[in-house]
Amino acid sequence: MNQVALITGGGNGIGRSVAHRMAAGGMAVIVADYDHAAAEKVGGEVKSAGGKAEALAIDVTVAREIKAVVTDVTKRYGRIDVLANIAGGSFYTKRIEEFTWAEWKEVVDVNLKGTFLMCREVAPIMRKQKSGRILNTASNYGVTGSALRTPYAASKAGIIAFTKTLAQELAPDGILVNTVAPGPTDTPRVMGKESPEARRQRWSDIPLGRTGKPEDIAEAFYFLTTPESAWITGQTFHVNGGLVTP
Amino acid sequence: MRLPGKVAVVTGGAQGIGRAIALGLGREGAKVVVADLQLDKAKSVADELSALGTEGLAVEVNVANESAVKRLAGQTFSRFGRVDILVNDAGIYLKALVVDITEENWDRTININLGGNFLCSRAFIPSMREQKSGRIISIASGIAHYGAKEFAPYAASKAAIIGFVKSLAREVGPDGITVNAICPGAANTAMPRTHRSEEELMQRLRSNPLGHVLEPEDFVGPVVFLASDAASYITGQSINVNCGSYMI
Repeated sequence: MNQVALITGGGNGIGRSVAHRMAAGGMAVIVADYDHAAAEKVGGEVKSAGGKAEALAIDVTVAREIKAVVTDVTKRYGRIDVLANIAGGSFYTKRIEEFTWAEWKEVVDVNLKGTFLMCREVAPIMRKQKSGRILNTASNYGVTGSALRTPYAASKAGIIAFTKTLAQELAPDGILVNTVAPGPTDTPRVMGKESPEARRQRWSDIPLGRTGKPEDIAEAFYFLTTPESAWITGQTFHVNGGLVTP
Repeated sequence: MRLPGKVAVVTGGAQGIGRAIALGLGREGAKVVVADLQLDKAKSVADELSALGTEGLAVEVNVANESAVKRLAGQTFSRFGRVDILVNDAGIYLKALVVDITEENWDRTININLGGNFLCSRAFIPSMREQKSGRIISIASGIAHYGAKEFAPYAASKAAIIGFVKSLAREVGPDGITVNAICPGAANTAMPRTHRSEEELMQRLRSNPLGHVLEPEDFVGPVVFLASDAASYITGQSINVNCGSYMI
């Protein structure tokens, strides 16, 4: 029987690559995204590559939607082995005095609250199974900070501490909780905002000489679901070409 | 197999975590140079590698001796012609309070644990640079982060390894070489047995959030991951494999 992986933000960018990687590793993937059409597209790609997938719409900031999705998935699959919380983003770059309360909450909610709500709903299922892997997504900015991204950096730092705490809570039940912290990654969302040349110049100090590909990040997510990482919990995996080495 | 045809050098490969790593890399298809002070034990690991269907070469080396490290590199290149993976595992673990430790034991610890990383990395980097690829994986320790009473030189040497790894990663990244550390939690090896009773040791090894006693084999997967193509964009990092006993 396939392991079951629930992937939020699975419709685009890093989430899409994670869905492909988990499916290639033999998991049935549930691609959940705010953008249902994008989730459907990725689900279709996975299936045409020979994998098992389905697509769902989800807003990770809405507790009742999450409850409905997790209840439905658990009823149909009987289990959730992997939860990858990838939905998120920085959305704005502006000075703190220009951030409205609504914008601040929008960023913190999709990143940090979404991670909390998803974990809260899935953790009891994994506790019953006495197994499970939870993978949260931070950012190098969660460690270094980033001017003009106060809510994003705060929420990503929050995810790192949340992950450690949840790892301690769930360790007695055999559930591992880790964070992947990508550096600059070539996702459609960021690639649309600047020219390849401007991007190369901005990141010319990355020791490995290039920005990350979503596939690079997906490999770290996948490793953290395998038996080889069975004794790693509460940790942060920085995948950034050596840009940030905390 | 994830490392077919690759050539690996594992220092401290004759026993404990180093031996498990040497055999683990061998199971993934790598040919492995088992470099250790204890040649007899290194030879038996090399034999085990042959039994796995790959090749092993035992080399006697003191990693704190520059000419010995040069000989290690020479023997490696003459047998296998290249090096893809260097695992710096050789180290010593001497117990003493800071006020009591002799200068000689301080120097030995720093020279072997830290200096060995420096000499071995330096010996293999030029060839990795030429082939525009390579993996250096240093075995540090959780003690680098949380310290350990009566093991200040060990803690200092392991923390220094992490600083070394971060700097070297920045130096050799443009050449396609990644440099990372693994920080094992306390594990069931001969090393801590020199200083603790069996009962005390097992109690200590079990006292982590996952309640698991770490065995040398438990570090193999993370090393293979770092050595494989899957980790080609990870460099300058420390991977903590410690059952959640320390989260940083």
